[in-house]
Formats: sequence, C-alpha cells, structure tokens
Amino acid sequence: MKANPIADLNSDYLAKYGFHDPEDYLHKAPKGLHHEVVEMISRYKQEPEWMREFRHRALDIFLSKPMPRWGDQERLGALDFANIHYYIKARGDQARSWDDVPDNIKRTFDRLGVPEAERKFLAGVTAQYESEVVYHSIRADLEKQGVLFSDMDSGLREHPEIVRRYFATVIPPEDNKFAALNSAVWSGGSFIYVPPRTKVEIPLQAYFRINAENMGQFERTLIIADEGASVHYIEGCTAPVYATDSLHSAVVELIAMKGAHIRYTTIQNWSTNVYNLVTKRAYAHEDAVVEWVDGNLGSKLTMKYPSVYLMGERAHGEVLSVAFAGDGQHQDTGAKMIHAAPHTTSRIISKSISKGAGRCSYRGMVKVARGAAGCRTSVECDALLIGERARSDTYPTMDIAEDDVRVEHEARVSKLADEQLFYLQSRGLDADQARLMIVNGFIEPFVRELPMEYAVELNRLIELEMEGTVG
Amino acid sequence: MADLALATAQDRPPITAPDVASLSRALGETENLTRWRQRALAVYLEAPWPDRVRHLWRFSDPADLLPEAPLPPPDVNVGTRLPEEGPAVLIVPGQLPRWNAAAAAAGLVLSPLSHGDPTAWPLGEAVPATHGLFEALNAAAWSSGLCVRVPRGRKLAAPLRVVLPAAPGASLPRLLVLVESGAEATIIEDHLGGGEQTRVVGVSELFLAPNSHLRHVLVQRWETGAAGHLTLRGRLERDASLFAVLATFGGRRAKLDVGAVLDGEGSRSEMVGVTLGEGRQHLDHHTRHEHRAGRTFSNLDFRAAVSGRARSTYTGLIRIDTGAPGSEAYQENRNLLLSPRAHADTIPELEILTDEVSCSHGATVAPVDPEHVFYLQSRGIPAAEALRLIVRGFLEETLQRIPQSLRPALEELVAGRLNRLGRGGGR
Repeated sequence: MKANPIADLNSDYLAKYGFHDPEDYLHKAPKGLHHEVVEMISRYKQEPEWMREFRHRALDIFLSKPMPRWGDQERLGALDFANIHYYIKARGDQARSWDDVPDNIKRTFDRLGVPEAERKFLAGVTAQYESEVVYHSIRADLEKQGVLFSDMDSGLREHPEIVRRYFATVIPPEDNKFAALNSAVWSGGSFIYVPPRTKVEIPLQAYFRINAENMGQFERTLIIADEGASVHYIEGCTAPVYATDSLHSAVVELIAMKGAHIRYTTIQNWSTNVYNLVTKRAYAHEDAVVEWVDGNLGSKLTMKYPSVYLMGERAHGEVLSVAFAGDGQHQDTGAKMIHAAPHTTSRIISKSISKGAGRCSYRGMVKVARGAAGCRTSVECDALLIGERARSDTYPTMDIAEDDVRVEHEARVSKLADEQLFYLQSRGLDADQARLMIVNGFIEPFVRELPMEYAVELNRLIELEMEGTVG
Repeated sequence: MADLALATAQDRPPITAPDVASLSRALGETENLTRWRQRALAVYLEAPWPDRVRHLWRFSDPADLLPEAPLPPPDVNVGTRLPEEGPAVLIVPGQLPRWNAAAAAAGLVLSPLSHGDPTAWPLGEAVPATHGLFEALNAAAWSSGLCVRVPRGRKLAAPLRVVLPAAPGASLPRLLVLVESGAEATIIEDHLGGGEQTRVVGVSELFLAPNSHLRHVLVQRWETGAAGHLTLRGRLERDASLFAVLATFGGRRAKLDVGAVLDGEGSRSEMVGVTLGEGRQHLDHHTRHEHRAGRTFSNLDFRAAVSGRARSTYTGLIRIDTGAPGSEAYQENRNLLLSPRAHADTIPELEILTDEVSCSHGATVAPVDPEHVFYLQSRGIPAAEALRLIVRGFLEETLQRIPQSLRPALEELVAGRLNRLGRGGGR
C-alpha cells in the first residue's frame, strides 16, 4: 500500500487559512453557560421580551436534554460546554460600506476574499466576524424588489412581526440539544424574506467566521420565500486554527411557501479543531422546491443532516452533498426527507471521500407518512476510500407507512480503483494527475451545482492538496 | 436514560440461581454445564435492557417478546410428533431431544446439549451471553438443546430436519452445530406451533471449520398469536461457506437476529430471506455480516411482502474490519406493500474500515404495480389470484437462489402462505 496518495485537505490549514488577529473584543462573555449569560446577551442586544423569554426557556431545555446517545460518542464525549465563550462582539458597529469596516477585520476578510465576492456578485454581503454581523450591504435593486436581507439581529429589530411569526417554527428548541443551545445563545446569521412572486436573480452570500479561542458561534438563519418566490443563498465558512476545541452550532430554518423555490449552498471548511453541530431544516409547501447543496471539508466532527419536510402536495426536496474526511476528521452527515403530503418527491445524492484515518458517515432518513400517496424518493450514496485505515459508514433509515410510493436506496463503497489509475497512466497522465482526475470525476455531480467561483475554489483546493503526493 | 433502564429492569422475567440449578439437574447436566449456566445467569441479571435508541431495537419492544416466566411448564404436550421420514430431531421444551432412526443412521453425531461439556464444545462462542438480554436469558435457562456434529470430511446427502414446536408459555431452545473440516451438511431448523401465550427465545450457533460447507434453513412458522426472538450466528473459518435461508411467516411478533462472522480467509456467506406478513403481524429482521479476515465474501438478498396492517422491519449491517482487505459484501432488501395500511422499514447499514473492498447495498419499497394487476385481470385472472401471482413473482428471484434440493419444500411453504392472501390478509 502506497503511503498517502492524497494529502489531507486540511493538513496545511494553519499556513493557508489559519492566520488570526490578536483578540480585540468589546464584549466577551465569560466562559460557561448560565442564565446570566443569556440575560446579558439579550439585554445587550435590547431584544423584545418574547425573545428574552425564548432564550431562557431554550436554555432550560438545553440543560435538561441528555447528549445524543448515537453518533460519534468518543468525540461528542470530549466536548466541554463549560469551556466555551457563548458571546463575543467585535469592535465596530454595523457597517453599510466597506470603508467603515475596522482594519483588522478587513484583513481577515481580505484573506477570505469577501471583497472579491462582492465585486463578483454585487450582491448583498453579510460577513459575520465572531458573533455579530459587522458588515452588511444590500444592493439597491434587492431593496426595490422588497427583498429583506440582513443579519438576524437587525431582522429582529426591523421586522419583528415577520421574525416572531416564523422564528423557531421549523426547528423549535425542543428539537435537539444543540438546537436548544443555539436558541439560547444565538447571535448573527442571516434573515431573508422574499415577497410573493419575486425572483432573486443573484445568489445572496454570507461569510461566517470564528476567531477566538474557545468561543462558540451560534448563528441563526431564517429564510422565507413567499408564494412563487425564488432565492439562492450561499453560506461559506472557514476558521483559523487554535489548540483547543471550538464549537459551532447553527440553526438554519427555511420556509418555502406555495410554489416557492429555495436553494441553500454551503461549503464548510472549518479548521480541524472545530465541532460543527448544526440543525438545518426546511418546510416545503404545495408545489415548492427546496434544495440543499452541502459540502463538508473541514471540522473535527461535523454532525449535519439537512432536512426537507414536504408539507404540501407535489413539493420536491433535494439534498446533494459531498464530504471529505482526512486524518482525525469525522464527517457525520446525511439528509432527511419527510413526505407528509401526497405526490411529493425527493432525491438525496451523497458522495464521500475518506482518506488516511478519516471517517465519513452517511446518516439519513426517508419517511413516508400514511396517506402520502404517490410519493417517490431515491437515495444514492457513494463512498470513496483512500488508505487502509479510511472508514466509511452508511446508516440510512427508511420508514414507509403508505403502499402507493416508490422508495429506492443504493450505496456503494469502493477504493480508488487501480484499474482506473492504470488506464489513465497508460494514456500519458502521471499518477498525481490520474488521481486528481478520478477524485474530480467522483465529486463532479456536486461541483456542477456550485456557482462558478465556488467550483473553481473547490477544484483548486483539491488540486493543491493532490500535488506531489505520490507515495 | 438510566432511570428508564432501571424501571424496565424489573420487568425482565424473574429467574434465580436455584431455578437454574434445578433445571440443570432435571436435564441431567454435568456440574461444568451448571456452572456455565450460572455464569450466564449473572450476565442476564446485570444485562442492560435493550437500547431502543440503537437501530437493532428501534422497532420492537423487548417486553412483547419476553416470556413471563422463563422456565418450561412441566410435562409439555406440544402435539407435534417426531417425523418418521428422513433424518429428523424433535426438540420439546423441558425435555431431552429425540431423533428417529434415519437421523441416527445419517452419519452425523447427535447429542443432547445437556450431555455435553462446555469446555469441549465452543458453546456460547458465537452467541455469548453478553450478546444481549435475550441471549443471556437463553444461555442461563435454555430448556432443550441439541448438538449436531458433522465429522471431518463427511458429506451428508439428506438434510437433517430439526423440529422445534413452541410450547404454551416459554420455549427456550438452543442449537449447536459443529461442521468439521471438509464436511458438508444441510440442516433445516423448523420453528412451528405455539399459540397466544407462546414466547420463544431461541439461540443457534453454527461453527464451520476450515473448508466445510453448511446449508442452514431457518423456518419460522409459528401459529397466530405467538411471539418470540431467535438469534443465529455462523462463525466461519478459512475457506468455509455458509448458505443460509430465512423463511419467516408466523407469529404475531417475531424478531430474528441472524448473521455470519467471517473469521477465516476466503470464507463465504450467502444469505437469502423471504418474509410474508399479514393482519397485524410485525416481523422484525436484523442481519449482521462481519468480515474479519481477508478475501471474505458475503451476499444477502432479503425480500418482504406485507399486507393488511402488517409491518416488516429490516435492519442490516455489513462490517468490514481493518484486517479484511480484498473483501466483498453485498446486501439487498426489497419490500412489497400490498395494502394501504401495510408498513415497511428498512435500514441497511455499512461500516467499512479499510479501503481494499467492494461493497454495495440497495433497498426499495414499492406497491404492487396496478398495471400488472390490470394486465392479469384482462387475461381473466381474478384480482386475488393476480395478487398472489405478483407476490410469487416478487419472491421468485430470491427463491431461485436456493439450492434445488431445498427449493420445493420452501416453495410449498410460500404457496401455502400465499393462498391466505385475499382471504382477509390482503387488501
């Protein structure tokens, strides 16, 4: 067996992305989680009473819920909730223009290419630095269309009636321990409302970033596409490397009303010390379409299962995901499709690459409720193993309580095939190029769905990591 | 969660050390065996209640499957006779097994498990008491056991039929099969009988020495109302092969946990299963294939057809360990839903810990295609008969994999079951 045909994607993370600025925080909540911390966050943000109460109730739920007894027990067991900062606000208030953004924060964003993204997309950019949104611009025509796009805190201040109506209706704090944690201490994230029959032509983007040792980031995103509306939201994130574990626990709620279309694209590239425990769920009403395009490259442990609850007839849900796990990483990801209405359809395509001692787990659920006749669903899992210590798990669940449905599940696990390598080499490619080509071909269905910039970035990332790695 | 375990721990069937001692004495067992049971009893009393969070126990409530009192009722009359034709053994709870002349002359060595010595036999090595609550209960209190030994190099022509009638109350049968190197045999483990009060907790262990070959057919056709849990494990040494058939039709609730551990290089396990559920039956199957050595192969084809309000649950795991390069494993579960209230769950799982493998699984759930029914009806075939033909066709692909010598008997079983479709069990 050749050693390390492909390097870990994040092995040189420190050099490439792991820069970090000296900490300079106006508000850094002490470590640990108590009602005082929640009270402090809520008072500081001058939130309405209902949100303050909601946070306290969520904290009680968090404290009363046991840790999950499934999943990666070893890594989950090492998570110390007492050793985490639950709220940090960076210097500088809401900025409408790039010039107003503090210099050290700018440097961070420069390294991440936020201005470039803005130039390219000319879209509203919500860049989250630490726990608070510090930069935010909305293109004039979005405002003209009546599209609301802001950070979640501003959304709560400026559109309390919409937020109160939908907030936590898709993912209540009772849902799971980490959703309860987020509900108690959430800060930042995006708020988007698209009015009826409005098509947002450009993808809306936000960068997320965490930058303090032992701090958690608990952003909260709520996207509502009203009847017949459509929107594509892109979330990308990366983080500097620190010696102790960081916790990232987001809650993302999508609501696609009748005939609406929401696509949510994420590429997660947290540094390999980050716990990424995320709850993402969408409601798709009659004739609505919700698509999750989900890439997981970074983190120490990611547990993320984007879900679509198909609530109205003919709704369609889709999850397309790629996971990469190198040494020390566990990508525990998957998807859930709940068919609660007749003639709903769904498709899950999951690709994973486990390399070295990396581990990828697919964990999925397809449920068809009684009475949801005429549903169709298919699940396809493909796993590529590189190295004799690489691990791949597939844990799908199909729970079908209706006879007039078609449910299909397929999974394949294989290693980087010698025959393919041999064939490509016989055509004049060197071993590196051949491996790159195979890996690129493997994830191509995913990359195809990304906006050009992201596709280029992802391809470049993989290419860099594959250079000079012939064992 | 600890509270939950504590609360239900009291619900486990009560059994004491003196109970085990007197059962062991009544069966005429050696002190070694009595001590073996007592150790299992200690495990049983401490065993955690099955964890409903784990997929294995997600769909069945252990309380539905456990007997109230695990000891066999005295002087059981099961009303089942020892078959006269072909080699056969009858296993009745609380009694030593009996076999007919054909079995005695078949060239294999039969002994009551109670007359064996746990130090000479690998008793509990494939299904240890620590496997789970049910397996611990069986190890402590099995009430009728049989050991089948197929001597080295012996190739048996006729299948051995082991008949296990369930008694009213508790039945705890245990089977130990030792296929010595180079030997070949076919065993039919036939669970039948029982009624409303029946609870069966059975364990079967199959040990396949190097280059041995076993065909093992597990039939579960309890009467309506019975419930039970059966555990079966094969352990395969180098180049051994196991062909296992599961045919599950009976009982109100039944859970089967079957699998093969591929311990030796080049060993192979082929498993096919068919299950038919009707009325309010809940049939829960778990399969487990563990690849622990290189160049091992496993293949599973499991089909379920459910009608009425019946529910089929399938959970399966293929695990390929780090020390098993060059292994191949395949798993397929197909479900046919015959009525709007029928229900199917399927969780086919893979855990692959090394890269030199080829592995896949597939699962489907689908209704009867109305066009097929329409086509058959247009040919003058009544709806109920059309449905039977379609289910028959659905199971046929799997039945085709079964060796010719065993197929007629199984096809007859399936046909008998299918005849009930449309007479209350169907749509």
